[in-house]
Amino acid sequence: MNNETTKTVSIEELRRKQPRFQGITSGHRACLGCGEALAARLVTEAAGPDVMIANATGCLEIFTTPWPESSWRVPWMHSLFENAGAIAAGMESAMKAQGKTTKVLSFAGDGGTFDIGFQALSGMMERGHNVLYVCYDNEAYMNTGIQRSSSTPHAARTTTSPPGRERMGKRHLKKDIVSIVAAHHIPYAATTSVAYPVDLRRKVRRAMEIEGPTFIQIHSPCPLGWGHDGAETLDVARMAVECGLYPVIELERGKLTGLLPIREPRPVSDYLKVQQRFRHLFQDHHKAREELEHLQALADYNIETFQLSGHGADDQDTSGLNEARRGGVRSA
Amino acid sequence: MKYPRGGYALPGTTLAFKTGTWRVQKPVHYHYAAPCHHACPAGEDAQAYLARVEEGDFRAAWETIVQANPMPCVTGRVCLHPCEHACNRGQFDESIAIHSVERYLGDMAVKEGWAYPVQPVPANAPRVAVIGAGPAGMSNAYHLIRAGYNVTLFDAFPLAGGTLRTGIPNYRLPDEALDAELDRIFALGIEFKPHHQLGREISLSELKEQYAAVFLAPGAMQGRNWSVGDVVPQDLHQGLDLIKQWMTVGEVPSFQSAAVVGGGNTAIDVARILKRSGTPEVHIITHNGLPGPNAIPGDVMRAIPREVEHAQQEGVQIHEHRGIRRLILRGGRVTGVEMVHMKKMPDETGRLRRVAFEGTETVLHVDQVIPAIGQVVEGEGMERLLGQADWLPVDDLFKVPGQENVWSGGDACSTGQGTVAGAIGDGRRAAEDMVAWLRGWERPELGERRIVEYAQLNLTYFNPKERAHEPILPVAERTGAREVVSGLERNQVMQESHRCFSCGNCMSCDNCWTLCPDSAVLKNPDAAREIDRYVFDYDYCKGCGLCAAECPVGFIDMVEDN
Repeated sequence: MNNETTKTVSIEELRRKQPRFQGITSGHRACLGCGEALAARLVTEAAGPDVMIANATGCLEIFTTPWPESSWRVPWMHSLFENAGAIAAGMESAMKAQGKTTKVLSFAGDGGTFDIGFQALSGMMERGHNVLYVCYDNEAYMNTGIQRSSSTPHAARTTTSPPGRERMGKRHLKKDIVSIVAAHHIPYAATTSVAYPVDLRRKVRRAMEIEGPTFIQIHSPCPLGWGHDGAETLDVARMAVECGLYPVIELERGKLTGLLPIREPRPVSDYLKVQQRFRHLFQDHHKAREELEHLQALADYNIETFQLSGHGADDQDTSGLNEARRGGVRSA
Repeated sequence: MKYPRGGYALPGTTLAFKTGTWRVQKPVHYHYAAPCHHACPAGEDAQAYLARVEEGDFRAAWETIVQANPMPCVTGRVCLHPCEHACNRGQFDESIAIHSVERYLGDMAVKEGWAYPVQPVPANAPRVAVIGAGPAGMSNAYHLIRAGYNVTLFDAFPLAGGTLRTGIPNYRLPDEALDAELDRIFALGIEFKPHHQLGREISLSELKEQYAAVFLAPGAMQGRNWSVGDVVPQDLHQGLDLIKQWMTVGEVPSFQSAAVVGGGNTAIDVARILKRSGTPEVHIITHNGLPGPNAIPGDVMRAIPREVEHAQQEGVQIHEHRGIRRLILRGGRVTGVEMVHMKKMPDETGRLRRVAFEGTETVLHVDQVIPAIGQVVEGEGMERLLGQADWLPVDDLFKVPGQENVWSGGDACSTGQGTVAGAIGDGRRAAEDMVAWLRGWERPELGERRIVEYAQLNLTYFNPKERAHEPILPVAERTGAREVVSGLERNQVMQESHRCFSCGNCMSCDNCWTLCPDSAVLKNPDAAREIDRYVFDYDYCKGCGLCAAECPVGFIDMVEDN
């Protein structure tokens, strides 16, 4: 190997000189190819240094703060599992009382958002706190051992929704949390995916500018829980968007105002077959075939409902947005 | 260590924990050769100069080309561009118009008067003799001067250029383009001696003694002998001679109808020249098939497909898979030929063998048959080296075996490829070995870099884009020496450079830096070279392989790391 990258500048110095804000440093204990670690890094990068974070219990909290160390380089507080919204609301009120403008972010996984922390989130939204709530959606309780959450997609295998004779994985559907949150009549609620960093950063910056409660849900694959190689994290995330199972949309005051058009929708089986959690759907069994069709129908429903199909080549669609350019210039 | 009180930690302190220890594989940068680079007989790195074009630095792009090939004006026009056949983009939508970009850069250099980035040669440096001022000889002379040697160049003709001047018609390669390139090479300080024919004005044994080294590139300037069953028409014209006549006189005799025999570029050129000189009916008879998607490899006309197409547009009739059985003569003159259908078929051992099909004989009435079936070395003054062989023997590095200080390249040598780019490449590689020998170094190694495969690219990051095509003169306007194909515009050249996949070489797209979940890819914007712009921080890299998977150009390899 011709590793011609020997530098005159030391690695330590280079790390200090990185031309981007580093809200999370290296040395965190996330698994190889963790989608959530990447998503959190991208969010803090786009949000900038003038923020403070309330973090619910979950993978993100665990892997960034193995006491007595912390990966965070912004004020950060660990709440309980159920009250990230409430803690963030309190932090925001305290800032306001002191006349400070530091933006408060609230980070939680899908468990801490869809299920356990939902009441605190709903209350925070209802009271109109100036908080950006970011949900890192990896579609199950990964931290505690891959138990199903209300975000787990239909027919996925988790340790508490194992496929067997009676059921093909999870019986119920994935909760449409972004619509539920948007129904609080908040100024901005959006979904995005780690596979589209341009879209992700843009949405974070948009939310940061808004005074009032905002919500961003980020689809972040979990290689361990979903059963794919760490190197495939972005490929998997991309396919989720391209097949329509994970719609990337923006809602303002409850109304659809933006979407990421899919240039060429691909079959859900492309997305499903690379993940162990859906492997049972590819066995020779009538129920497996039925559930596969069910998931395709759910994707078709999303494409139809949100009108996700693109109209020809567009530099802002699923293919155009990720185009690589010499020198790293993107449309972000 | 001193623990902080309670549930409290200082910012950024996980840096103390080196997650790199988890790793079982690690990413490394590996600069694979782009397929275009590998395929270029002249050794040009198209990926590298397309990158410079994309950055808007046309001069740097041109300087990248002339590191290998001093004549991009020429090759941009006449090369059959194997680079474009190898181009990975060809599997995606359409290959990059590499030859058009090359031509644009060559023409721009002429227009702007750019000089080669070459240091002047000291007067007392050793002097090398180069025989033949064709593409191989000019390339060899240029590379010897780059390496700091004086060159004396001999040619039998009054003007330099060799086959470029006498074998390629000016409607494909205008004299101005050729002269501009040759003049610039001569401006480096070559001592040029025209009217010097080896074996007459100069002898090889003298050259070997008087010069530090000798490079023989006399080309293959003589048409191969041709007859059908030992019968030769009285008024036979060799194809090669007709081209030479066209280039010096400006026209050739016209006939009622003519048949050109052969399937290479010479055959195509002769046919087109005949058309231009007023022969109304021109045929080409070839054993091989027309190029196209259904062509059988190993049984296709050797001519550049684009030129075949142009000839057909101009009214040349091509009879593919035909052999000539018999000449129909009246008083020593041709009145027709008897053709027969032929095809290359695998025999019982699987080898391709030409088979004539009985009962398919046809007669074509023509009053002239012109062979263009290949060229041979004239051999004058090199009889000892040639012996019984048709070509000068050379080893892998173009040295003539058994000779102390003689090299050979281009069409005259046994490994000659019969192409301009091939000859230019021969000249360059021979120069490398000559320089090594002159300095008493080890001979250069033939090592080859691995090529990046289509499957190694991440195509998610590219989108289909239409290729630019060069404007082509309408058939009615293709008269005399008017150049048939013209060049691209600047914006089209830029567009082509954007289309380049940058196979195997970093394009600084920031993907690895943006997508590493562990911030273990560091960006060094001050690095001069692209390949140094990102650095792996192995202290924290967990070896997930995301960067390698998401690298659009295949610049990152994952290797075992225990």
